[in-house]
Amino acid sequence: MSVDLSVRLGRLVLKNPIATASGTFGYGLEFAEFLPLGKLGGISVKGLSLRPCFGNPPPRICETDAGMLNAIGLQNVGVEAFLSEKLPELERLGATVIANVWGDMEDDYVAVVERIGGDRRVAAIELNVSCPNVVKGGLIFGNNPTALGALVRRVRGATPLPLIVKLSPNVTDITATAKASVDNGADILSLINTLVGLSIDIETRQPRIGFTTGGLSGPAIRPVAVRMVWEVRKALPKVPIFGIGGIESVEHVVEFLIAGADAVQVGTANFRDPTISARLVDDLARWCEAHGIRRVADLTGTLKTRPRPEHRFG
Amino acid sequence: MAVNESLRVLRTVHYDATHYSLFLQAGSIGPQTKPGHFAMLQAGDGLRPYLRRAFSIADVSKVAGVPAMEFVVKAVGIGTEALGRFAEGTPIPVLGPLGVPFPLDDLTPSDRVALVAGGIGLAPLVLLARELSLRRISADLFYGGRNEKDVLKRADFERFLGPPRCRYATDDGSLGRKGLVTDLVTQALDGGASYRRLFACGPLPMFRTLAKTVEAAKLDASFALESEMACGFGVCLGCVAPTTDGRFATVCKEGPCLPPSAIDWSRVHG
Repeated sequence: MSVDLSVRLGRLVLKNPIATASGTFGYGLEFAEFLPLGKLGGISVKGLSLRPCFGNPPPRICETDAGMLNAIGLQNVGVEAFLSEKLPELERLGATVIANVWGDMEDDYVAVVERIGGDRRVAAIELNVSCPNVVKGGLIFGNNPTALGALVRRVRGATPLPLIVKLSPNVTDITATAKASVDNGADILSLINTLVGLSIDIETRQPRIGFTTGGLSGPAIRPVAVRMVWEVRKALPKVPIFGIGGIESVEHVVEFLIAGADAVQVGTANFRDPTISARLVDDLARWCEAHGIRRVADLTGTLKTRPRPEHRFG
Repeated sequence: MAVNESLRVLRTVHYDATHYSLFLQAGSIGPQTKPGHFAMLQAGDGLRPYLRRAFSIADVSKVAGVPAMEFVVKAVGIGTEALGRFAEGTPIPVLGPLGVPFPLDDLTPSDRVALVAGGIGLAPLVLLARELSLRRISADLFYGGRNEKDVLKRADFERFLGPPRCRYATDDGSLGRKGLVTDLVTQALDGGASYRRLFACGPLPMFRTLAKTVEAAKLDASFALESEMACGFGVCLGCVAPTTDGRFATVCKEGPCLPPSAIDWSRVHG
């Protein structure tokens, strides 16, 4: 039995639903010695800003139980260097490129998106409105539906490419920012970004990372991510979703698809094993075959919930 | 080219309660390894520890005729403790060789170099000593630790470099001179020793002092830096060190072997 792994997220068609998450896959080229980049559904590159950014002073990372905290501070080469130095090689290697972008203020986002414009070498633009590790920008948009809506509307006018908004989990109701994004022109939603955390060295009584707080990622956050994908799917049944958060195995991929994701992005696991994303493509084909699934897209949003009791027992 | 492969434990030699040598199959990483390279090792397939750990590839040799890589480890946390407990034959996921090795290509047998190790910082210098000996480049070793137990693999260094070339310092005077290894280096330089290059690995205070020493002596140097890493190949950007040109260099990809003049030691966290 041959399995159709292709997925359609609105105008964005991917050969399979396994993509890699921004901030965990560099510019893709760093992984070219470990796997064929063209094998992946997509690659979301390290968040690009208009000008190069040096990021936060170290220490920037620490390991936690089943995950890690990071406060890198969006260090990146800038959109110009990306377009001239990285993108041609990514194209040559057959990668499906998602350009993740960020800025301090609305104008910065618009400027970087305008610079990419309708570049055909880029399959989609992903707005990072949810980075918890910078003083300005980022999360200001990520947890305020009104500010986010205004930003998405302006960015929408700056590019004809499919527009993804990457949502923050550091909110009370993720469907509010999801709706604000879609109402203002987002084609696709990706979720979740990292959860704000704090880890302390109890001997020195100092935070274990320099920025004090950091973004928690890895398997520890997966149930939160799956829950949020399910909530957004219920609220916006027609909007395509990238599920992100602690994916380490094909079972985790399938879990996200069932919850309502059309595709996934593998994140922190890339640090632990640089070959994992390519292996998940093969594993997913085998899993579907073993379970009699002809089209992987048929798995999306198939959660069978039990009825919740309407009153308390006892 | 870095390789991601599963390599079996050939032998674990415990020196004391915290220090040990882990010998793994060399795989295809060993033959590619140059002094100063490192590898990322996964301690078990569970979620704790979650991330791989970075270790200098201390030596490439043989264990009972089998090509082997040696890692000299100090157990300081869950990862380093777990790696010391694996039975012979246990497969360990290893990514390597990684990073920029020590600069050696321009050295000739007429050159003399210095090797400076502090504590567990001996690790990358073992293979360096082996390589220098193969190339017939003479080297002086300055090696310091808290006490005699802290100063590991002396027999190897003395075999590669010659016993008179190996000088030790300990905090308690139990081996060599009582005091700091940096004092040994200063004493040698003051005594007229000159080196084509100084190679060093050790704790941050040693690096700070040594950076000033080599700058004052206008001595060419390469330090093998240590940092916590999530990936080891330039992607997570977690391991960076502040540079004198105001940016951050990845210890894993631009390093670990860097000239101390490139690092802004006043901004390095300790």
